[in-house]
Amino acid sequence: MRTNRTISTALKCLRRYRLRSFLMMIGIVVGIAALTMVVSAGLGSQKRVMDRVKVFGVSAIMIHAGGGEVTQPSGGTPTNTLTVDDVDAIAHEVPDVVGVAPMGQKGRVEIKYLDRTATTNIFGVTPSWVPVWDWDVTEGDFITDEDMEGLNRVCVLGTTVYKALFDSTADPVGERIMIGSVAFEVKGLMKSKGTSPRGGDMDNRIFVPLSTFMKRVDNVDYISGVRVRFGGSGSIEQKAEEVRTVLRSRHQLATGQPDDFSLITPTEIVKVAKKVAGTFNVLLIIVSAISLIAGGVVIANLMLLSVNERRREIGLRMAVGASSSDIRQQFLAEAVVITLIGGVFGLLLGALGIGLMRQLSKMPLVISWASVLMGLVFSGAVGIVAGYQPAKRAARVQPVEALRG
Amino acid sequence: MVQAKGITKTYNKGSGASVQALREVNLEIQQGEFVAIMGASGSGKSTLMNILGCLDKPSGGQLLLDGQEVSQMDDQALAKVRNQKIGFVFQSFNLMPRANALENVELPLIYSDKADITRLSREALESVGLKDRIHHNPGELSGGQQQRVAIARAIVNQPEIIFADEPTGNLDTRSSYEIIALFQQLNQQGKTVVLVTHEPDIAEYAKRIIKITDGSIVSDQANASPKDAALALDQIPKQEVRNENK
Ligand SMILES: Nc1ncnc2c1ncn2[C@@H]1O[C@H](COP(=O)(O)OP(=O)(O)OP(=O)(O)O)[C@@H](O)[C@H]1O
Ligand SMILES: [Mg+2]
Repeated sequence: MRTNRTISTALKCLRRYRLRSFLMMIGIVVGIAALTMVVSAGLGSQKRVMDRVKVFGVSAIMIHAGGGEVTQPSGGTPTNTLTVDDVDAIAHEVPDVVGVAPMGQKGRVEIKYLDRTATTNIFGVTPSWVPVWDWDVTEGDFITDEDMEGLNRVCVLGTTVYKALFDSTADPVGERIMIGSVAFEVKGLMKSKGTSPRGGDMDNRIFVPLSTFMKRVDNVDYISGVRVRFGGSGSIEQKAEEVRTVLRSRHQLATGQPDDFSLITPTEIVKVAKKVAGTFNVLLIIVSAISLIAGGVVIANLMLLSVNERRREIGLRMAVGASSSDIRQQFLAEAVVITLIGGVFGLLLGALGIGLMRQLSKMPLVISWASVLMGLVFSGAVGIVAGYQPAKRAARVQPVEALRG
Repeated sequence: MVQAKGITKTYNKGSGASVQALREVNLEIQQGEFVAIMGASGSGKSTLMNILGCLDKPSGGQLLLDGQEVSQMDDQALAKVRNQKIGFVFQSFNLMPRANALENVELPLIYSDKADITRLSREALESVGLKDRIHHNPGELSGGQQQRVAIARAIVNQPEIIFADEPTGNLDTRSSYEIIALFQQLNQQGKTVVLVTHEPDIAEYAKRIIKITDGSIVSDQANASPKDAALALDQIPKQEVRNENK
């Protein structure tokens, strides 16, 4: 029998048994909807990871003072291990370094402008911050060498800080704000950078000259971290190892002693972020796979019931010219057609669910053609697997016995 | 066109006992014949007809259809023979209850290579006088009308031979004669008709009468003067007519 006749016959038969067809479809609709939503959430978190890596940059590494794991920097070890001299050594001794951006950092500092206050992070930075982070001001100027030399009390605001202290139309440049008990003049406003690889708000910062920071804000002779940007070709992991060697020898660490600093490479960030997203996704995929399997079992059972109930019809079809393989194909087509229709409705329901989730939460969700295709392939596969045994049984019906009585 | 040589059919029952439904049946049916097969219940009429119609396989013997050996054919080839050369009519109509008359008649065409399925089905229904019932489901038709739908289905693919197993068994007298008249008309148009019945007065409308007892043919005679069902229909009082104009 021709394929289009097999399909139209299958459609006719499904229409004749509406209730059963509807019941067969439900499981697939739910399963595919769940799968679509899970895959979309998975793709969304993957996209988030990639976006963060893009923010971090693929040709730079980050060094923090203190040892420990990436997920938990310093881990209780002292954080006074990194100095400006270390930074100079890296810049001069490690090949391919095109820029270093040392920073001092102090969290949860009270700031004030007129009657408005906020809590933010103070970063002591050098002019090299701009090229190394590829991050500049949108208004005013960034910190200059003169600011460094003169220990000037000037600052540049992150957008979150700006929004907290100023009206949206106000020009902050030239205004004076209080950082702790010291007054600073606002020099400029940074571009918005968004979320950091660790999930923090990179715009909730105030930048001051590193020299000013070390003498006047924190009164320390060490820095909290440095970002190193590389040029040239070759693996970033290998370059990071060279940095490690330089720092270990400067800090006089013997073999076997752990690092007293931590080194973060882009690869490591991807690894950590994927681990977090991955466990979550595997669980959800298993749940939706189970609902798909349950849907398949329901279809297989209803199909077997249908074959038994329609034995006479099968016998009749054979009497008027259907071969066993025609009958097998027809029942298989019924199963696949119903699961594909269920799959399409499942995708629509899933898209609806995704839209709803977008409204309710900030969860990143991505619908891709790949997931639509996967939904259809999965539902078709469920149809073939679930319809196989019933179709085989239908093909074995003996027309004489089925038509008797 | 149909040649049966020494056909036997044995059913094995679970207990080891076996039933000889057919014993060494020899039979030849030519194109254009109208044959009635008669016999008591359980004598093997249906078994013979199912084998002649390629719906069932004999246990022994040879069956030739248009000179072709049927036992050599595979499932696919047999299905094609049933589709193109044979039409079946059953006692219990065997219509699909959830499909309308047109869809029921279309069924053999679905498995053929023919295009224009709907037009051919409509014409077949018109030829059995059901022009205004094509969208009715079987449940909305009288027994006689249902059997006429079944006949339309049997002839829609232009087979050479029609096998009817007690087609009037579930019908009242007038409907029975209408069905027989239809078969006589088809026979006049050149179709071969093989009709199973246990009613002697129905058999009298055939041109040849075969009697079976216990799986063997006991008599095979030509009927010199077959009756005309169309004439008989005129004699039946109108009160017996079922209301067919609902
Ligand atoms: N599938 C089967 N298994 C076992 N025995 C069978 C089977 N089919 C038919 N028989 C036996 O074969 C014999 C012939 O049956 P068949 O149906 O051909 O009779 P029939 O002449 O058509 O009878 P009726 O007039 O009642 O329809 C009977 O004794 C019946 O019991
Ligand atoms: Mg019988």
